[in-house]
Amino acid sequence: MRYFKLIRLYFRIGVLNELEYRANFFVQIFQTVLGLLTALGGLAVIFEHTGDLGGWRSDELLALVGVYFLVGGLIGFVIQPSMQRLMMDVRTGTLDFMLTKPEDAQFIASIRQVEMWKLVDIALGVGLLVVALARLGRVMDVAQVLGFGVALLAGAAIVYSFWLMLATLVFWFVRVDNILVIFQTMYEAGRWPVTIYPGWMQVMLTFLVPVAFAVTVPSQAVVGRLTLQTLLGALGVAALMLFVSRRFWRIGIRHYSGASA
Amino acid sequence: MSASKSAVVIQNLRKTYQVHEREAGLGAALRSLVSRKSRDVKAVDSISFSVDMGEMVGFLGPNGAGKTTTLKMLSGLLYPTSGEARVLGYVPSRRERAFLSQMTLVMGQRNQLVWDIPAIDSFELNREVYRVPVAQYKQTLDELVELLDLGKLLTKPVRNLSLGERMKCEIAGALLHRPRVLFLDEPTIGLDVTMQRRIRLFVAEYNRRYGATVLLTSHYMADVEALCKRVVVIHHGSILFDGDLTALVERFSPHKTIHVKLADENQDFGAYGEVISREEGQVVLRVPKADTARVTGQLLANMEIHDLTVEDTPIDEVIEQVFAQPKEGRA
Amino acid sequence: MIGLWARYYRAQIKLSLAVQFQYRVAMAIWMLDIVLSPMIYLVVWTTVAQSSGGTVNGFTPSDFAAYYTVLMIVQHITQIWHMWEYEYLIREGGMAQRLLRPLHPINEDISQNISYKILMLMVLIPAVLLFVLLFRPAFHTPLWSALAFIPAVLLGAALAFVIGWTLAMAAFWTTRIVAINSLYFTAMLFFAGYLAPLDLLPRFMQMIAGVLPFRWMMSFPVELALGRVAPEAVLGGFAAQALWIVFGVLVLRRVWKAAVRRFSSVGG
Repeated sequence: MRYFKLIRLYFRIGVLNELEYRANFFVQIFQTVLGLLTALGGLAVIFEHTGDLGGWRSDELLALVGVYFLVGGLIGFVIQPSMQRLMMDVRTGTLDFMLTKPEDAQFIASIRQVEMWKLVDIALGVGLLVVALARLGRVMDVAQVLGFGVALLAGAAIVYSFWLMLATLVFWFVRVDNILVIFQTMYEAGRWPVTIYPGWMQVMLTFLVPVAFAVTVPSQAVVGRLTLQTLLGALGVAALMLFVSRRFWRIGIRHYSGASA
Repeated sequence: MSASKSAVVIQNLRKTYQVHEREAGLGAALRSLVSRKSRDVKAVDSISFSVDMGEMVGFLGPNGAGKTTTLKMLSGLLYPTSGEARVLGYVPSRRERAFLSQMTLVMGQRNQLVWDIPAIDSFELNREVYRVPVAQYKQTLDELVELLDLGKLLTKPVRNLSLGERMKCEIAGALLHRPRVLFLDEPTIGLDVTMQRRIRLFVAEYNRRYGATVLLTSHYMADVEALCKRVVVIHHGSILFDGDLTALVERFSPHKTIHVKLADENQDFGAYGEVISREEGQVVLRVPKADTARVTGQLLANMEIHDLTVEDTPIDEVIEQVFAQPKEGRA
Repeated sequence: MIGLWARYYRAQIKLSLAVQFQYRVAMAIWMLDIVLSPMIYLVVWTTVAQSSGGTVNGFTPSDFAAYYTVLMIVQHITQIWHMWEYEYLIREGGMAQRLLRPLHPINEDISQNISYKILMLMVLIPAVLLFVLLFRPAFHTPLWSALAFIPAVLLGAALAFVIGWTLAMAAFWTTRIVAINSLYFTAMLFFAGYLAPLDLLPRFMQMIAGVLPFRWMMSFPVELALGRVAPEAVLGGFAAQALWIVFGVLVLRRVWKAAVRRFSSVGG
């Protein structure tokens, strides 16, 4: 309960802060529209020449694009801003303020910064999903909706852990912002089902940069291709990543306190 | 072009900025998307003065008085709203090559040297940018190295230099083309006292050697006292005073301070003057200049005094008084 | 006179190289950016080709491999980024420093552009080798066409620079330059031959591409390298590139004048 309250407080601050920069809202809308245009235009051009891409029909890929926006929006909404803030705070030495608060430092570090206008991307993602399902004429039963929710949560947890580990590196190497470029670039690959990539790239996109779990697996749930094994696998990886990233964070904090004392 | 002996001539120079205003609230924010209210702010309001060739002038004023705006207009970074500025006969805002090659603007808080590499590499580039002949470049560089004691600093990456060392390199880099006019905007800001002195001595020497004209702003009155016989004081965008530094003191501080050492400081000095400070065994009084002799005599006659000295008001205090003038109260 | 300019450029490029060499780790990471996008589209089109009987409009998977390998090279050579830098430059006072010098600031940007591209060859060459090994591109290019590629890609780079630099000037008026940049990169994606070889686009998009400059920045040199430009169309292509550059330079000069006027009326 207390955590929810904290989340609400931080979000409130984020919202108030963003309201000061209203023009950002229009810029975000513009960016999102361009992103949508790019995604749909790409699909249109490709499906001029083929009926399916690696076994996915165009409306199924539309659903995948929906998940791509949804998850991308989620990352851009809270994960990425918070992690970037963390790295900046370590560099400027203001992290100490956060560590002196009587709350779990990892928790606070993870929700501290919100980019409200990214909600536009989340909304667009949901909208695209709905349109795709309607066009597919697909009605999901309770189990399937549940499967999708679990896959989405697992994906989010994996991406979050991944980001946290990258950001934790900052305790040893001050300049890691460039590493973040890696994720942003690799996430682009998630626009398409990872199954179309050559084997070595699939491995990279699954375990090195977890794009597969973030986008492809939840999309599989939407279009009814998700097997129980994949779902359980995603859950297992999520649990493992959460555990490992927390351990890593602890080591990082200890290193930081030791070094700056 | 110009046959006169003035290096800088400013006539009725004026600069106004437009500032957009917005009220609080969502409605106001939406309205401001369509039509924005704006207001003119006068940064520099019709100032005139001139600086002779080879002269060093202190340009004084509190923050926001219009000093930097004026210097930017003189170095061609800002167009005047109205009025005229000429530097070495050129109109600065035309930004002609010949003009830019003969002047320099040093800003204490901005740097032009490339952060990641040694200063000497930036210098080499400046040589090409300003098209300085190699022989002249070498000679100037040698002199600057000697005067500023740059020695080993030039080959270290700039980011590894201390603030003072970096400033010395900045100044050297800004002078490699031997500019005839120097605009120095707070060149000693943030530096320690020794480094301030060093830079001060250098500017004096550069002026002596090359007959360069210097217009200098500084928060440190020691800089101005050491370098400039003449000061121009600007406040609220207008010129408050233009003349000798000593005359400034005369005009704005018609007082002297009397330091008295005596056994019992807890007496009533109200009859003699205004008590500025009172410590054990010492009292400092402020007295109108005309009364100095009379008050001194009375003090020596009426009290048991160990020692007594009379001083002019410190320049810092004078300046403080000048800046405290309200906007209308022009001299 | 020319000697003085050459000496300035030599000094500036030397300096830029020294500065950029400090960021070699970042460069290795930027390589990912260079490689990944073409690789994604290459994979997508290869998949399409495989699922539609081996070719798409005459493009085989190894044609696509050749196309995107060359595209990656051309993209590197024509790359521009000044539109990301000017906002910072203006805000942090770098612009004022540049204006104090008796030299047009564009010279510094050209030098930086050249030196960065020289330095990045260190990562571009391995990237190309990687592409060749992984995707086995096939070229059926006549010699004249391959030779024509060289001036075409240089003209493309010049055109891209002129356009990018003009767009960068927007930073003198707005701090939300990111929206303009997105628009530019989206247009590039569709109309420069990035998303797909222009031949594969629907007719109406090909027509739009025909009246925009983007094709002449990237697609035209790539088409030449693949020997896909008819001999009689080559001169027309070069003429289009030259015309766009001339037009771009005229616009650039006007915009630069307005930008300086703007800068000197509001201050940096």
